[in-house]
Amino acid sequence: MKGFIFYNPRSLKEALSQLKEAGGKSKLMAGGTDLLGEMKAGVLQPERLIHLKAIPDLGFVRQDQDGLHLGALVSLDEITVHPAIQKRFKMLAQAAQEVGSPQLRHMGTLGGNLCQRPRCWYYRGDFVCLKRGGEQCYAVTGQNKYHAILEGGPCFIVHPSDTAPALIALGASVKIAGPNREKSLPMERFFVPPRQDIARENILETDEILTEILVPYPKEASRGVYLKARERRCWDFALASVALLLTIEEGICQDIRLVLGGLAPIPLRALKAEELLKGKPLNAEVIEQATQMALNGARPLSSNPYKVELAQSLIKQAFIMCKA
Amino acid sequence: MGRRVKTRVEVEGHIEEVEVELPQEDLPPWQQEGLVWVGKGVSRVDGSEKCTGKAKYTSDILLPGMLYGKILRCPHPHARLVRLDTSKARQLSGVKAILSHENTPPIPWFNDSSLFDQTLRCVGEEVAAVAAIDEYIAGDALDLIRVEYEPLPFVVDPEEALRPGAPLLRPGGNLLGGRSIIYSRGDIERGFNEADLVVEDDFSTQVQGHACMETHGSVAYWEGDYLTVWDSTQGVSAVREGIARALNMPISKVRVITEFMGGGFGSKNSAGKYAVIAALLSKMTGRPVKVMLDRKEEFYAAGHRPSSLQYVKVGVKKDGTLTAIYLKGIGGCGAYESYFFPSRFSMIDALARPYRELYDCPNVKTEVYPVFNNIPVHTAQRAPGHVEGTFALEQVMDQTAEKLGLDPIVLRMKNYSLKDQVEGVPYTRKALDQCYQQGAEKIAWEHRNKSPGKKRALICQGIGMASQIWGGGGGPPAYAIIKINPDGTANLLTGSQDIGTGSKTVFAQIAAEELGIPANDITVTLADTETTPYAPNSSGSRTVASVGPAIRSAAADAKRQLLDLAGSILGIKAEELVIGDGQVYSKRTPTQKVSLKEIARKMGNNMIIGMGSRGPNPPQAAINTFGAQFAQVEVNTGTGEVRVLKVVSVHDVGRVINPVTLNNQIEGGIVQGVGYGLMEEMVWDKGTGIMLNPNLHAYKLPTILDIPEVVAGVAEGADPANNIGAKGVGEPPVIPTAPAIANAIYNAIGVRLKELPITPDKVLKSLRR
Repeated sequence: MKGFIFYNPRSLKEALSQLKEAGGKSKLMAGGTDLLGEMKAGVLQPERLIHLKAIPDLGFVRQDQDGLHLGALVSLDEITVHPAIQKRFKMLAQAAQEVGSPQLRHMGTLGGNLCQRPRCWYYRGDFVCLKRGGEQCYAVTGQNKYHAILEGGPCFIVHPSDTAPALIALGASVKIAGPNREKSLPMERFFVPPRQDIARENILETDEILTEILVPYPKEASRGVYLKARERRCWDFALASVALLLTIEEGICQDIRLVLGGLAPIPLRALKAEELLKGKPLNAEVIEQATQMALNGARPLSSNPYKVELAQSLIKQAFIMCKA
Repeated sequence: MGRRVKTRVEVEGHIEEVEVELPQEDLPPWQQEGLVWVGKGVSRVDGSEKCTGKAKYTSDILLPGMLYGKILRCPHPHARLVRLDTSKARQLSGVKAILSHENTPPIPWFNDSSLFDQTLRCVGEEVAAVAAIDEYIAGDALDLIRVEYEPLPFVVDPEEALRPGAPLLRPGGNLLGGRSIIYSRGDIERGFNEADLVVEDDFSTQVQGHACMETHGSVAYWEGDYLTVWDSTQGVSAVREGIARALNMPISKVRVITEFMGGGFGSKNSAGKYAVIAALLSKMTGRPVKVMLDRKEEFYAAGHRPSSLQYVKVGVKKDGTLTAIYLKGIGGCGAYESYFFPSRFSMIDALARPYRELYDCPNVKTEVYPVFNNIPVHTAQRAPGHVEGTFALEQVMDQTAEKLGLDPIVLRMKNYSLKDQVEGVPYTRKALDQCYQQGAEKIAWEHRNKSPGKKRALICQGIGMASQIWGGGGGPPAYAIIKINPDGTANLLTGSQDIGTGSKTVFAQIAAEELGIPANDITVTLADTETTPYAPNSSGSRTVASVGPAIRSAAADAKRQLLDLAGSILGIKAEELVIGDGQVYSKRTPTQKVSLKEIARKMGNNMIIGMGSRGPNPPQAAINTFGAQFAQVEVNTGTGEVRVLKVVSVHDVGRVINPVTLNNQIEGGIVQGVGYGLMEEMVWDKGTGIMLNPNLHAYKLPTILDIPEVVAGVAEGADPANNIGAKGVGEPPVIPTAPAIANAIYNAIGVRLKELPITPDKVLKSLRR
């Protein structure tokens, strides 16, 4: 790890001004569980680190008529145990529970989980790949069993977050603070695919900070589930994951949000599958159709065709669980 | 004194003949009844030191003025070093020395290379080293060394390396020794002709890392021409010999110490380049130098279990009698032959040993191709070869049993061998039949699926088993010294090392049993070549079986002297006295007694010193460990995820000295076996020769959630092989885990998984076929 200057701002304002002053040469650090690993591996060598943990009022869990407000510094562990989240946002608690290990959930924050960098072993390894300013994506001809089957190219990372698919399914939005103003946008617009910008995974500019996540109350009749498949049962990223929020009234699918994780460079809404099911009675046949549709356009690489089948199986399991 | 005899000793499965000098007749075996300390679940004598952080590992050694060494490693899989410019690094403040081929003699290393070779054959090979006042400066200095390489053609995949026209690692070709290693007995063709059924299949196993918690490393320190090295090693004597040879100095001028050690699993059996580099940097600077590998280096430069491809063909009669076993195996050596047993036998060939030994079969042929490829060199890893070979053989046995309509255990019992068919000598003891029986009961064998794959649910359960053969008999030479202190306590000294298995505890128990002094009154000092007598490497499951008998002999020697002294105090002949519970008393009238403390006090500074050595192994006999594991698994046929719910593990390892440390070894073996079976794999990028997962996140070791319920057991009884009746248990439990899991998966879903590790992608792919 290279030397760096460490800042410990006491307010959001102070952090924003330090960020601006650094002019892109700094990195924000919350739990540090991802950032420090990248620095140790030599993937990132920021000149300055701006530590956010000392800023009060970014670690809140608050409810009002709009829904659940989560400060970006809320720990993943708190999300898994908070009674209000357990009660009305179970899918989010489930997703947070699937992150890393107990130690990582205590250190790691929700904001950090959304802003984490990809786990591609070429990006994290001794390779100057496309994302690191190089000429090629090594995964295309290399070892690609963990890579993207949807929306990939020219870089084939998958987005590693567990909480993002669940939050998108719940219709969450994010609040971003910048040097001059604050803005809010739906979380699905927060993420950026490599085709749009190879160097980043979200829209945050170098002088902006993600401060809050707002999760609206799901409908009373809705059921949600987050499912994740992986190679080991703890401390492992998703081979594929599915977040499903389903509202069935009188046997008819009134509302549905289906989000896929671990399959594309961004958490991906299966919009066409959602369209297909909306307003229809949910029987095995139509679920099968929607499941196929969700993976339409999948372009597996040499070692990951299994992900298509795996994702479809998870989707079906999610429907079974939400219908039960 | 004594007489010289030749005896057979097995090292990592390889039989060697050694000559030993025996001071006296060996002791008669213990009577099982009346054992006080042996067989007791004594908790670790050093447990609190380890838990509180008081225990000093090599990585904890901190000496005044100590410098930190770091190694510059080659980024190319095959290259020639053209130019090296260290001038900038030299100017960096805090840098004290730089070492490279320019200022180091070409110390021979591996096959045809040297310490800093100018031909580099894998990513991670050592190019230069720096000593600086801290690790960060040493790291910065490495970045300032300019190296020009001429990249050479390379090949990562062992099968590709064997093809004509493949890039060559050395002029002689990529096949080690230029030809395959062939073992043959009987007539393999006739064996297949006599068969009613022939079963054949292909299997592959991956590269597994050792992932020692304490990485490899050394601290070296010179006083004049005398070198002291703290080394994280399984063998202080072997490291002393290696360093002395490398530096061309007498072994008496080198002292190697390993007080505590954080895991080796076969990868710390000799002096590493890092140890010699630390010694050279220390010599240059006149200051102690510490070189500890970081986690990434640990994956690149500390060895690994080699990968294998195995084609297996088995011939069998209708009644289950094996008529022929054939194996063609290819193993990836990496860039060099393992230094573990240079030229005497190949660790790659070790994968063929279960095929030769596990079952009674007159016609066996194994043909193994050790191949050089441009990845780092392999080394021994916990039951080298047996783990790889058993994975394939035990699946073929299940395939055969199914085709014949036989219970897998019945087929195995049908081909039960009571002798070592390679050496043509009987086993001192083989209680594998008891292991099968106990294991089957404990897993409820009768509940396995009778028609695997017929019912396809989302979650399917299955039960499978596999057997194991391994050495673990130990042998001479090994020595121990016991000193009786004036307060009635004792010190035990032996050059063996506790690599985390609990040997320190077990040694205290063996001494306590013979001496009659409580185990907690015996202080054990291990692994210091200057102060402790020779004992072998802690490898090959041989520590307890090699060193234990020597400790018992030393304790018996001390006891004889104690009883003589007690006899003169009590006015009773020594033969009529016994020791127990810290007292010496008369056999006839136990009220006539004197406490050990009293005797010791009377001795004043006149010391009792007991000395003992390991006797020979019985002539014309093979000493082996055996066992069977039964796994219960759950397969998610939608996601391909496999969960191991339970493993029953029963072994014939002779007498159990300590059931707690025994269970630790069985549990640890199963954890490593589950990792091997389901998730661990060192992955190389074939286009660059760079390892893709050299960290403990991407290299997947099992977490506590992946570890099944373990039910451990033994076939009761002592092995007559040595005076304590014990054999080793370090390696046996890792051998059958992966095949037991694979057989259980087959039992669950009716699909056979033949490539390791069995990850969800492979399960799904196999289900689709």
